[in-house]
Formats: sequence, structure tokens, C-alpha cells
Amino acid sequence: MRIRLIHTEGFRISAIFVAIFALSAAILAVSVLVIVDQEFRDQIVQFANADIAAVKDGYQTDGENEAREVIKQRMSAPGASDFFLLQRNGRRLAGNLAPMPPRIGILTLPYPGARPPHEILGTATFLAPDLYLFSGSDLYHARLARQHILRVLVWVFAGAVMLAILSGVLVSRGFLSRTDAIARACGAIMQGNLKARVPVRGTQDELDRLSQAINAMLDRIAALMENVRQVTNDIAHDLRTPVSHLRHRLEHARLHATATADYDKALETAITASDEILALFTALLRIAQIEGGARRAGFASIELADFLHQLRDIFGPVADDARHTLTLSILQDASIRGDRELLVQLFSNLIENAIVHTPGGTRIEIVLQVEKNVVTVSVRDNGPGVPQEEHARLFQPLYRREASRSRPGYGLGLALVSAIAELHDAKIRVESMDGGGFCLSVSVPMASPARSG
Amino acid sequence: MKILLVEDDTDIAGHVSHALAIAGHDVDSAGDGLQGLSRALSGEYAALILDRMLPGLDGLSLMKQLRIKGVETPILLLTTMAGIDDRVAGLEAGADDYLVKPFAFAELVARVNAMTRRADIIGRAAATKLTAADLEMDLIARTVHRAGHAIDLQAQEFRLLEYLMRNAGRAVTRAMLLEHVWKLNFDPRTNIVETHMSRLRAKLDRQNAKDLIHTIRGTGYILRAD
Repeated sequence: MRIRLIHTEGFRISAIFVAIFALSAAILAVSVLVIVDQEFRDQIVQFANADIAAVKDGYQTDGENEAREVIKQRMSAPGASDFFLLQRNGRRLAGNLAPMPPRIGILTLPYPGARPPHEILGTATFLAPDLYLFSGSDLYHARLARQHILRVLVWVFAGAVMLAILSGVLVSRGFLSRTDAIARACGAIMQGNLKARVPVRGTQDELDRLSQAINAMLDRIAALMENVRQVTNDIAHDLRTPVSHLRHRLEHARLHATATADYDKALETAITASDEILALFTALLRIAQIEGGARRAGFASIELADFLHQLRDIFGPVADDARHTLTLSILQDASIRGDRELLVQLFSNLIENAIVHTPGGTRIEIVLQVEKNVVTVSVRDNGPGVPQEEHARLFQPLYRREASRSRPGYGLGLALVSAIAELHDAKIRVESMDGGGFCLSVSVPMASPARSG
Repeated sequence: MKILLVEDDTDIAGHVSHALAIAGHDVDSAGDGLQGLSRALSGEYAALILDRMLPGLDGLSLMKQLRIKGVETPILLLTTMAGIDDRVAGLEAGADDYLVKPFAFAELVARVNAMTRRADIIGRAAATKLTAADLEMDLIARTVHRAGHAIDLQAQEFRLLEYLMRNAGRAVTRAMLLEHVWKLNFDPRTNIVETHMSRLRAKLDRQNAKDLIHTIRGTGYILRAD
């Protein structure tokens, strides 16, 4: 855990910030110390200069005795120097320092006998050619102040670093716990629990968005898996029927055929039956492939009026032969983006449904209309219609209405329609018309001219 | 005609060779892609029939190699995959036609015949007139005459007749008509082909007793004057 923590991005960022903070704090501390030290020295020198001026003043007014008097007073006064020395010819006349070789200006002297050793800072001058005066203060206070400041800075610095590390650890642990949750969800899915999802906090932060994207991906994968499972089941179930029919026919021929013609007939029906089985396979595979959604790359702009005219020309005579009428009403032309071949199949299915599932004399109408940038193509008829309660089931693969079981087909037409519509982001609406009849509408957003590719 | 069949399934290869031989073709077989490529490169074949899945070199790559090397022999691609994308990929890689297994042998023979025929026509540039027996089609004026009498055809009927005339004397199947005349790449549940065909026949044969379009049972149709 500890090592993983150090390797998180949150921790790394915290560490960088701590380093930057430490560097700036160090620069600040050094600057403060230098400034404070300088300030102390300046103040000591100022005191010393003031004391020397006062002693000089006393000496010039009332002579040597007055100077001694001033030094005595100054030594016990607050706001003045700690140490004085007035000497002549190497002999102390006043003050609390031992005589020393006279040097003038700003001086630093060792503090006599102090433990630990520290220093006296002060200024020295000659009151008269043989009268030497020094005034100064202990630098020990400056050092104490410096140490004090340094101590405070170190504590503050240590506290800040601790806080930064702590927040780094907390942030990283928060991050880790969430990435762990994602990893756990992925692990669960790998174990076979396809329903596992990454938790989403609802804060819309970057991890939330990542989690949502992963969940959306998982939903899609689950849908595809479910689809594959469904299709596999359907094939397994529904293939039994035509295959067993085929088998019965062949068996029947073997038992009862007496002439070559009988065998010919049996073989022909067997071939037809196997063709139907293959057609079922093809249709199921096609639905699965379309639901896989890999064909959007082939989308192009399609002029619907022209497109529907072609379909009307193809199916019009077919409808006539079945004693239906097929008409096309273009209320407003529109273009959509789509896969031409798949859309041909979609609308062919709808038109063929209308032709196959209604009695002769039925009017079938294809209507193209546009409302609020939504293009709708409806295929409606005035046939017997489909009861409301069956509408939802119409699009299930292999669902066949009781009434149409005697007709050829496997109930895959509308499942295919539904898959193609979904690929085009189209909505399908099923309505029963007033006074009977059935209407199936496909609505697609209109292709905007600006969009390409 | 000399035809090269590249197919690794010996069972299918045997049946296909037999069917083509009966149809009067001379068939050579290759069992893998590399052997197929080296034979096809000889350029002595009128048509190639390629399986898409082949050991050595797959059908699509073989086709691309041939086209790159300038071999323009018509190719019919055989495949077990019925996907739309597969067909598009096959045609884009240079196939002239595409057939999904399993297929009826009549379908295969009709397609091979149409394909080699097409190769002949390309050589003759774009014809503006098609004729068959006493039938005459003007592709530019879009008119049809039979024995001098004008026949009024709908757009769909015109295209159907044009396809039949371009393949005059050769059988065309329902699937070929659906693909080429109506651009339908699926099997419809209604009698689209039969319906349009019967209308076309009725118009063509109104004044003349002699049928031009004949139905071949189990295969499709043929336009032939006899």
C-alpha cells in the first residue's frame, strides 16, 4: 500500500509542491535572518554612537570628571550601551571593560569570560589625543533573537511540510480508492459478472467522467453480448423446426418413393428447405452484423424523394399483381445521411410486409414528410391492422403473429428493420389507424448540409 | 473457355469443376493461394474463380497481386461470409462478381458466363445500340423497337431488357437480375423479378407470336431468338 501510494499521481504532485514550498521557505528564512541580524547591529552601533556623543559632550563641557559621570549614568540607563571603557595610556579611568589597545571606528571585541563565547559590538573614538573611549553592547541578544526566529521558522516549516505530505497522502488515497474501484469492476467483469459497473460519485470530476465512459462502454459490450447470446439461442431453437421438417421429408421419400420422379420431387423440396434454412442464417447474421454498428463509415447523403420513387417503381407492379395499390406522397423532400443499401432493405421490408400481410384490395401508401428537421417516412395501409398489445413484440427476432404463421418467413423482417433504424439513429413508431389499418413510421434527423463525412 | 478454380476444399472443387465442365468449360484447379497465383499469372485463363479463404495466400491478397501485376482476367470471388462489408471489400479488391457459399451450380455457371461476356464487351467500347433477333435497343434515345414497331417501356422494364440483351444467349439468374437491375442485394419475399418480367414479356410479345425471353427452370431467364 505504502509503495503504491508513492507511485500515485496525487502523491507525486504533492511531493513536487512540498519541494517548491521548502525551497521558497528556506530563501525566506535566510533573508529574514540576514535582515534581522543587520538590524540588530545597526541598532547597537546607533546606541554606541549616541553614548559616545553624550560622553564627548560631557567631557567638552566639564572635563574628564563629567565624562566619567556620564558613563556611570549611561551604564545603568535603559536604551544605552552595555559596555564602556575610558582609558588613558593603557589605564582604565571608567567603564566595565579591561584596558585594550586603542583602535577606533566600529569594532567587534570578544566578550571577556563569557560561556559560550560571544562578542561585543561597538564604536571607539579619542576624546583627546590620549583619552580613548569605547561604547558597545553584547551581540548575544542578536544571536538569541536570531535563534528564536530560526526556531519558529523551523516549526512552521516542519508543520507545513507535514500538512502537505498528509494532504498528498489523503488525495492519493482518495484517488487510489477510486482507481481501485475501477480496477475491481474490471476484475469482476473479467470474472464473468457482466453486470458490474464502475461507481460514479456524481461530482462530474475527471474520474467521474472516466467512470461514465467506461460504464457506457461496458453497457455497449453487454448489449452486444446479450445480442449474440439471443441470436445464438434463437438459431438453436428455430433451426430445429425447419431441419426436422427437412429430415421428415427425406425420410418420407426413402420410405415411400417408388419412381425417379418421386425422388426428384423429394430432392427439390429438400433443396428448397435447405435454402430456407440458409436464408434464416443469413438474416440472423445480417441483423447481428448491423447491430454491431460497424457500417456508419459507409454513410452518404440520400435524396429521399428520388430514393422512394425508385422503391415505388420496383414494388408498384408487385403490389398491382397482388391486387393492392401502392402510392407515394412526397409532402416535402429531404435528404438524410445513411447507408443506401440498408435503407433499401429497411423500406423494402416494410412495403413487402404491407403487401404480404394484407388482403387484396388494400391501399398501401408511402408518405414522406418533414417536421421540425425530423424526416418521417411512413408506410401505411388500410388493411386489418395489428392489435395494440402486439406492437412491441413485432420487433423481436423470430416473433411471428399467429395470423401469419402459415405464410413463408421467419419473423426476422422487423427485427432487421429495427436494427437498421437503430444504426441510423432513427425512431420507429407503430400505429393502428382509425377504422383499421397499420402504419409504421421511421423518423430520422434531417442531414444538415454543413455536416460531412 | 479455360477457367482456373482456386479452392482448397477438394469436395467443393470437384463439384464446381464438374458443373463447369458440363457447361462446356475447361477447368484447371489449384489448391492453395500461392499455386493459384503462379497459374493465374500465366494469363491464359478466360476467368478465375477464387475462394476467399485459402491456405498460403488468401483470395483478396491474391486478387490484389494479380491486379497490381496487370492481370485483368475476370474474377468471381467465392465466400462463406454474407456480410455487406465483405462483398464491398471483395469488389473493391478487384473481384468482378461475388458469390456466397453455398450456391446453386446453375448460379455459378451463369455468373461465370456473364463475367466472361462482360470482358468481351469492354473491349468493344460502349455500344450505343443493342440488337437481338428483331429487337433493337437505342441506349441513347432510350427507345426499343421490335420488328420496326416502337415498344413503350417503363424505366424498370427498360433496364431489365437492357441487362437481358447485354447477356443475350446466356442464362441470367434471379439473383443476378435483382443485383444488377434493381440493385437489391437481398432476397425479397415478393415476386419482384417475376412481376417485372411478365410485364416486359407481355409488351415485347404483343405484336409478335415468337417469345424472346425464355424461362429456364431452376436457373432463371434467357433472351434468345429461336
